[in-house]
This record gives sequence, C-alpha cells and structure tokens, in this order.
Amino acid sequence: MSLVATMPLPLYGFLEGDTIGLLILADENESIASLARKLQEAGNIRVRPRPEVQLVYQGKIIDSALSVSDAGFTALERFDVRQP
Amino acid sequence: MLKRDDWLHLARKLDWDYSYVSEKDVFPEEISGRPWLPHSEWRDWEEAFKTSYREYVQNQHDKDAAVYAVRDAVGRLEDIQKLATPWVNGLKVHGAALPLAEFTGVISNLRGARFGRDSAWRTMATFGALDEYRHTEIPLLLLHELVRWDPQFDWTHKLYHTNNWFAIAARHFFDELTIGQNAIEAHVATNVVLETGFTNLQFVGLASLAHGAADHSFEKMITSIQTDEARHAQIGHPVLATVMKHDPEYAQYLIDKWFWRNWHLFSTLTGITTDYLAAVDGRQNSFKEFMEEWIIDQFQRTLDEFGLKKPWYWDILLEELETYHHMVYATAYTYRSTLWFDFVIPSPAHRKWLRQKYPKYWDDLEAVWERIEEHWRAAGPGAQGESAVHGSALLAFCDLCQLPLSAGTPRNNTANTLVIDGRKYILCSEPCRWIFSREPERYANHRELTKRVLAGEAPATLPALVSEYFRLTPETWGKDMQAGKYSWF
Repeated sequence: MSLVATMPLPLYGFLEGDTIGLLILADENESIASLARKLQEAGNIRVRPRPEVQLVYQGKIIDSALSVSDAGFTALERFDVRQP
Repeated sequence: MLKRDDWLHLARKLDWDYSYVSEKDVFPEEISGRPWLPHSEWRDWEEAFKTSYREYVQNQHDKDAAVYAVRDAVGRLEDIQKLATPWVNGLKVHGAALPLAEFTGVISNLRGARFGRDSAWRTMATFGALDEYRHTEIPLLLLHELVRWDPQFDWTHKLYHTNNWFAIAARHFFDELTIGQNAIEAHVATNVVLETGFTNLQFVGLASLAHGAADHSFEKMITSIQTDEARHAQIGHPVLATVMKHDPEYAQYLIDKWFWRNWHLFSTLTGITTDYLAAVDGRQNSFKEFMEEWIIDQFQRTLDEFGLKKPWYWDILLEELETYHHMVYATAYTYRSTLWFDFVIPSPAHRKWLRQKYPKYWDDLEAVWERIEEHWRAAGPGAQGESAVHGSALLAFCDLCQLPLSAGTPRNNTANTLVIDGRKYILCSEPCRWIFSREPERYANHRELTKRVLAGEAPATLPALVSEYFRLTPETWGKDMQAGKYSWF
C-alpha cells in the first residue's frame, strides 16, 4: 500500500440519459466500478441509477475491477457510463 | 441656407487623401480589420437610411417619448405584479442579459466610428453607438423600479459585474463580438449575423410573446429598440460584400463562426424563455419554429444574397434545434440556485405541447423531468425539498462557448476533448471545437469555470461558488416558483 497521498484526478463524466457533463474527481486507486457509481450518484438528481452499467473510456469498455490508474486515465479526459 | 440634399452627401462621404501619414497608419489592420484594402475599394460603401444628425435626434426623441408614455400607462410596478410568474422570470433573464451587453455595442460602434474604412460607415456607426447607449438605458430605467419589489431584478445591472457562470459565458461572447474586436469582424458579426438574424428572436418572437403575456411595457421596449437595430444593422451588409469580393473564404469563416456562437447564446437565453417561461396556451410557435421561420430561412436568404454557402455544420445545427435549450433548461433547473431567476417544472399539459413540438428526443427529456418529480415527492415541498432537489456535483463547461456541456442528446452528449501545445480543452460540440481550433491564440488562455475551480481561482464547493463567486444571496438565488407544490404531484 502506497503511503504517498495521491491527487484526485479531475475527469469529465457523461452519464447516459443526463443533460450535462459533470466534473468528477477520481481517486487513482479507486476501481472503475466505484468511479461509475460516483458518476451515477452525481447525476442521480436527473437520472435514475441503474443496477448494471458499463464505463467507456476512449472508445473502449473498461473492466470494472481495474483501478483508475491501471485503466490509464489521465486528467481532464472524458468517460461515459451507460447501460450495457 | 443649403437644402438637406445639397449638403448631406458631402457630409456623409467626407474622405480625403493623407499627406503626412500613410492610410495604413490611420487605419491599422489590427483594429480596422482584414482584408486590409485601400480606401478606393471602400469608397462605394453605402447604406439606404442616409440619416442626418438632426433627423436622428428628432426620431430618437419621438421614440423615447413613446416608450415613456407606455411605461407610464402600463409599465408601473402594479402592472408588472399582475403578470404571470413564469413570464416575470423571463423578464429577469432578458433584463439582466440585455442592457450591459448593449453597452458593449456602444464601444464596438465607436470603434467603427473611428476605424471604419469609409466616412459613411463611420457616420452610421456614430449613430449606432448612440443607439446602443439608448438600448442600455431603457431596460435599466424600466426595470429599476422593480428592484424594490423583487431583489432578483437587481441583476439587471449586476449580472455582468459577477462571475456567475452565465455572465462568464455572455462576457466571453460579447467581449469577442464587440469589445476586443476589429471593425470589420465586429460589424459583420454584429450587424449581419446578430442584428439581422438572431435579434429577430427577441424583436419578433419575444415581442409577440410579451403581447400574449400582456406585458406591453416590455413589448414596446423591444419594438422600439428594433427600429434602431433595423437602421444600424445596415452597416454590416456593405462591409460583408467588400470582404466577400476580396476574400470569400474569410467571409465564409466569419459567418460560420458567428452564426454558431450566436446560436448557443441565444438558444440558452431566448430558448428557455420561449419554451419554458412563456405560457404555451393558445400559442402556435415553439422556439424551434421561431428559429426556423425567422432565423434559418432568413439566414439562408442572406447567404444566397452574398453567394455564401450554408455552414458545414448545418445538420448539427438542425439536430441541436431539437434538444440544446431543453438540455440546458433541465440542467439549470437542477442548479437553479446558481442563477438569478426562478424556475418552473413544465406541467403535464406543457410537456404534452413540448412533445408535439419536439417529438424526436422528448422521451429522454421526459425521463429527466419524471426523475426530478420523484425527488420532490420524496423530499416534500418547501425549503427542505428546495435543497434536496438540487444538484451538488460541479457542472462542466465548454472552453469555447463557456456554457454547460449540454450539447447533443441525453443518450449521446457531443462533448469532445482537444489537446493544443500540451494543454487539454473540452468543447461541447464539433462546431465549438472547430472555432477554437481555428483561433487557439484567441481562446486558449481563457479559463472556463471548471478550470478556474481546479486552478484554485474559484471555490470548489457549490455553496461557496454560489455565494462568493456568483455573488448570489438567499434572496436572489433561483428557486422553484412553486416550491415543489404542484397540483399533479
């Protein structure tokens, strides 16, 4: 476990069904599943959360068990959360 | 004494050859604009009104008298208090967006009055500057009386002095259109695109809605302003014709760029007022239909007149006509405390009308309103619901238009990222990306709101952002007009 604190990674999240893109601060160590949940919570006011979603980054569906850093996310990039 | 026709032509067309400075020094390209051409290429510049100063002053005096008369008869506080609440809030939207934007038009016209390339152009721009000063003063005068009734009307003057997100977007637009612009681009963009195009949404569309809402003061104000616009808008056409003759590619670029920039701002401003804050009972036209009739058709005629082509993004524009202002309004409703006017949830009958007018994507937008209603039902009406039925995540904004990333559809948002010189930008749509990419040196150093937050220039939490950066207070920030007490809940 790293003792070095990581800076949150700012990302643009787009939730399917929503009317706006949102700024989402990701933890590099958090899982893709957690990041998808975070965006669903942020857009919950306008979009009903869905039990099953997939996260798409740079045109590819990302394995939900990967971490944000393992998936190669860089700051200020777009990701999408949508229904399978 | 000479008759008018004996001296007017000489007074309007008073150019001369320079003996101890060059023409390029008198009219530098940086501020007069490009293509830089000798005066011989501009000397045929002409417009139809050919007004003298004496006539101008007399006409404006008469028009001002008519505005005062209508205000005294039907524009007092007690008259405004009788209007429907949604319409009053539409008045707050336009009241805030209009006057100081018009003031930037004073500066732009004064630039034309000095750096326009023909004396008749400079004469007309002098009148244009006086016009725009009038357009600043009239709404400030008419709406000032309302501040003591509703403090949100204070934003008529305050908006542009804040870093409210809409103020940032509108300032970015008007700074480029008018304040930081050369004379050629400013007059093409303002006169040809904005004033003969998009202001029809205000002066024809909104005027008819004001009439329907029995707001005769607002109706009179904007129709009076329109008579000035119709005159000074004539500056742009002979300017565009000369640019078209010498550099048609640049002429096309200016039209394409400014039509898109106008579209996003006016869609946000007038789109939501037309389709959400004006009553739909007994009315025929939606915002989309206003756009189709008074903007799209007229714009195509203007393009044909100059031998210009339709912008490459035409299909994107037609798609956005279906969705953009709906996406912005639904978003803004859930962030209403970030703005200076109140919002309403469209009723079932209103949504049925919207579905008829916008069938293509309404199912997805309906789902958003149903979700918002679920939250109100769970939280209950009143103050508790007001805070519970509100977004808390930070919105993201476009690096070009500075408006929320609400382009595309709920299923397919069209935002896209761009890297220039190692820096990342996000653009809400392909046309915004195209404009940004054509002139990165103009746009790259301006930070949209999200990047100000990330840079530590603006607070990172929504409550601090609203109160400290947007300068809203509990009395002035936007709320639900019914406080969640809707009969159909």
